[in-house]
This record gives sequence, C-alpha cells and structure tokens, in this order.
Amino acid sequence: MKFTRRFLSYRSSSVFLIFIGLLLLFTFFSRYRFSGRGNIEVLLALGSEFSIVALGVGMLMICGEFDLSIGSILVFCSFIFIRLFEMGVNLFLAGFIILIVGALLGILNGIITVKGLIPSFITTLGMMMFWRGLTLLLSRGYTRPFNPEVSPFFCHILTGEIGGIIPVQVIWFVVFGVILGMLLHFHKFGNWVYATGDNKLAARAMGINTDRVKIICFMIVGILCAFVAMMQIIRVSTFSSRAGDGWELKAIAASVVGGTALMGGRGSMAGIFLGVLIISVIENGLVVLRIPYFWTYVVFGLVIIFSVLSSRYLERKKLTYD
Amino acid sequence: MVSIPVSKKSEESLVKMVNIHKWFGKVHALKGVDFEAKHSEIVGLVGDNGAGKSTLIKVLSGFHLANEGEIYFEGKKVSITSSSEARRLGIETVYQEQALAPHMSISRNIFMGREPVRSLGFINKKVMNEESMEALESIELHLRSPDTLIAMLSGGERQGVAIARALHFKAKLVILDEPTIALSIKEAGQVLEFIKQLKKEEIAVVFITHNLYHVFPVAERFVILNRGETVADVKKEDTSIEKLSELIIKELSTGKAVSK
Repeated sequence: MKFTRRFLSYRSSSVFLIFIGLLLLFTFFSRYRFSGRGNIEVLLALGSEFSIVALGVGMLMICGEFDLSIGSILVFCSFIFIRLFEMGVNLFLAGFIILIVGALLGILNGIITVKGLIPSFITTLGMMMFWRGLTLLLSRGYTRPFNPEVSPFFCHILTGEIGGIIPVQVIWFVVFGVILGMLLHFHKFGNWVYATGDNKLAARAMGINTDRVKIICFMIVGILCAFVAMMQIIRVSTFSSRAGDGWELKAIAASVVGGTALMGGRGSMAGIFLGVLIISVIENGLVVLRIPYFWTYVVFGLVIIFSVLSSRYLERKKLTYD
Repeated sequence: MVSIPVSKKSEESLVKMVNIHKWFGKVHALKGVDFEAKHSEIVGLVGDNGAGKSTLIKVLSGFHLANEGEIYFEGKKVSITSSSEARRLGIETVYQEQALAPHMSISRNIFMGREPVRSLGFINKKVMNEESMEALESIELHLRSPDTLIAMLSGGERQGVAIARALHFKAKLVILDEPTIALSIKEAGQVLEFIKQLKKEEIAVVFITHNLYHVFPVAERFVILNRGETVADVKKEDTSIEKLSELIIKELSTGKAVSK
C-alpha cells in the first residue's frame, strides 16, 4: 500500500500505467502481431525518429516555449543534406554541417522570440511556413534519391542494427533521453530551465539569463531535428519534401501526455519519454490492429484529454495528502 | 546614567543614497530622495501607493538606474547597474511575486541561479539540501523536507524561504518589498519573527510597506515617502503609530492641494 501510494505520487507513474495498458491492449487485440519481432523492429526504428525530436520539444516546453517549426526545420535540413550529398561532400562533413544548420535555425527561433518579445507560438508558426515553403521552392516538391552505399559506415551509425535485431535509432533515442534527462534533473542548466518556465521574473531576479536559457533550448530542438533529418533520409534512401509533416502538434501532444504543463515549469524527462512512446505506440498499434489510419487522430485526442485529466486528479490528491 | 553599549559599527551607515532623481518619461518619480540604512538596522520605508517606495528600492537593487544622485555602500561610492551587481555588494531584494518558483522544491529555489556544483556543472544535491535546511533553521523556520514544493507552503513560509535565501548568501542588506501584503494575521506575525532573526544575524533590513501596524513593532526608524519626496525620517522613540499615520494622511492631503 505504501509502495502504491509512493509510486502514484510521481506524476510519470500514471503515464507509465497508460503505456503498459496500451501495450497489453495492442498485444492481445492484435493476436500478438503487435509484439511480433517484425513489428517491434518497425516500431523502434520509425517511432524513434519522431521521438528524438519530441524529447527536445518537451524540454523546450518546460522552459515555457513552443516550437511549431520542427517539421519544417527537419525538412530544410534534409534538403541541405541531400544537396551536399549530390555535390559529393564527405558524409561526415555534411553531417557536421547539417547539425550546425539545425542549431542555427533553432537559435534563430530563440532570438526572434526573446529579443522581439514575440510569443514563440507565433515565431515558430511563421518559421514553420517559411522553411517548409523555402524547401518546396528549392526542391520544386520533387523527391530525390540518396545512396547509402557512399558511406556505409556513416549510415550504419544512424540507422544500422545492433546484433541484427535492435535498430540503432532506438539506442539514439535512449541516449538522447538520458542526456537530456541528466541535463534537466541533475545539471544546473536544468534548474534554470525549470525556473525560467515556472517564474521568469524570479529566475531573472536571481541572476539567471532566461533569454539565453530559452535560446539554448530552441537550439537543442534544432540540433535534434537536423540529426533526425539525416536518420530519415538514410532509412528511406530518399529526400521527400513531406518529411516531418505534422510532427509539431504530435510532439506537443506527446509532452502533454507525459505530464508537461503548457505554461511551462512542470514536467519531467521520464514523463516526456513515456509520452513520446505512447504516441508512437498508438500510431503503430492501430495500424497493426488493422484499424483504418484515420482513427489515429481520434484516439490521440482521447488519450491526450484522458491523460491530462488523470494526472490533474492525481496531483490534486497529492497536494491534499501531503 | 547607564549607557547601553553600542558597537561602533552599528552607528556607521551601511548604505546611503543621496539626492536620487528618477524620471520615467515626463513623470518625475523620485525628486531628490535621501535614504540611509545603518549596519543591522531595521528601517521601515513607508508611503502610499505611487509614493516612490518601489522605485527607490529598484534603484538600490539595480533594476533601475537613477538619472541623478549618488549611492554609497559601506562608505564607498558605488554604481549599481544590475541586480547581480547589487547582489555582489550584498544587497538582496525579496519581491512580492517574483521571489520563488512555485513548482520547484525549496532547496532548488534557495539555490536558484547559484547552484552548488560538482564537476561539469552537475548539482551537488546533498550540499544543496543540507545547506537549505540550515538556512531555514537559522531563521527558526522548521520545515520537513528540502524537497517540498513551494506551492505546498503557506504564504508566511514562502516569505521565510526567500528571507532564508538572502541570509544564506551573506547579504548585508535585505530589502523586503511588501512582505506581509497578502498574508493572514498569523502569517504576517511569522514574517515579523523572521525579520527579527535577520537583525540577530547583524543584517540590515529595509521593510517596505504601507501597513504601519506591520512595520511599527519591528522597525527602529521610519522613512516616509510621498510623491517622490522624503517627508519624514524619524526614530521609533521620537514618534508613534498615530503620529506617523497622521503624517502620511496630512501630507497626502496637502500633496493633493499642491497638485491642484
């Protein structure tokens, strides 16, 4: 009983229960197709791409900002990457350049938001249209082929398999989750992120440069987008101008499901990690259940609302018991 | 006559602001204000809304730059250009709404922006928790755990956390901006006890308020501001609560007459 009470006092616990529930549900109703090896591999490889970006978005939300431009930053980075590939640039160099580009686009979002005193919702809404539009303009909307044979080693680092079973993508997902989690919960920068999101005036009065904290969070999101852009291009061996389409709201949904407050200041990396997994599992599970894809968003909607209601309920209980 | 021994230090001025002027556009918010606080002295800075109390204090804590005037700290002339500069001198300000982050723990709030770290910037949680509890004990605030969220504390306890933070970082002067404004009578009493603890630790306190009944029992001297000017600077033994409130009301009504 004591253990249960303690377990439930963590906000992430309710998210964890939902996650386990979904896994069981999908496993039984799909007659174990869901837990089959083939599907797990697909889930881990595909799901991890979105999930890596969403981790960064969650952290950004804790510091009180949004990023609606992740899909567009991602597709723009993809385009630059394919151009560098076509020009015959060494892929390691190209990879490095792409990460810098992603970081710069993130920093740009941050600077416009904090120096222009614009809500990040607006800044990144503009950027979402701008970078997607620019990519369409430059690529004329065509897909372009990519050849992983050029540098098998580089491609293996991003999309290979370990022991022939575990996709490398999921390793990256876990690695990023752990790094961001350490940063958020054990590093002083994490303390600044929470303070900035929770009470910006207090943070400032205590000498925290809240503008810089926000810009760095935007930058982290940009870098993650660039990283995933490369992952995706290598996996499908094609550049597509539709890459990352629709990820922005899904990422926010994942963070909210994981217990992150929309106004900032509340949330945890464990919660975000699970929230992201839930979104990926739902998307995959419904397909495996052979439920028409169009149901996906209906279920997303229900899960978001249900998870926020349940975590609110638990939180109120916690406040009255303590 | 028995003279009470007074340490020489307490007669020296800790901070002295001379002829401070501040304009906001065309509004002359401070019209040559003089203000002084001595070592480990509790000064009540009193005045009605818009009298210039907050502006004066923001000049002292580095939020605003004065257009004219000088500030001396421990006898030396200083220019306080930022809040971190003020903090470096030993001036800590506790604002009404801006002091704490409600969804963070007590210890994380106390060390916000000044976290004790091990290598690579990782927080040393053990040191942070222990020192937080020590800081709270030093003002007689007994709370169960340094991990409690600020949102779970009462208003008085929150002020206590903010005051303990100032104390922990070796402030020489603590400025309290309306520390009792939204509190119940019992909680306000608790805050007054914290302020007495600060005095015990030989820290000077500037207590800003428009509630004379809160400030009168603890302060030793009162500075009354009105429409950007100092209208009184009196010791407690030379005045009474009635005289002070009369002064505020009287000055206010003449102030109105002048402005017409």
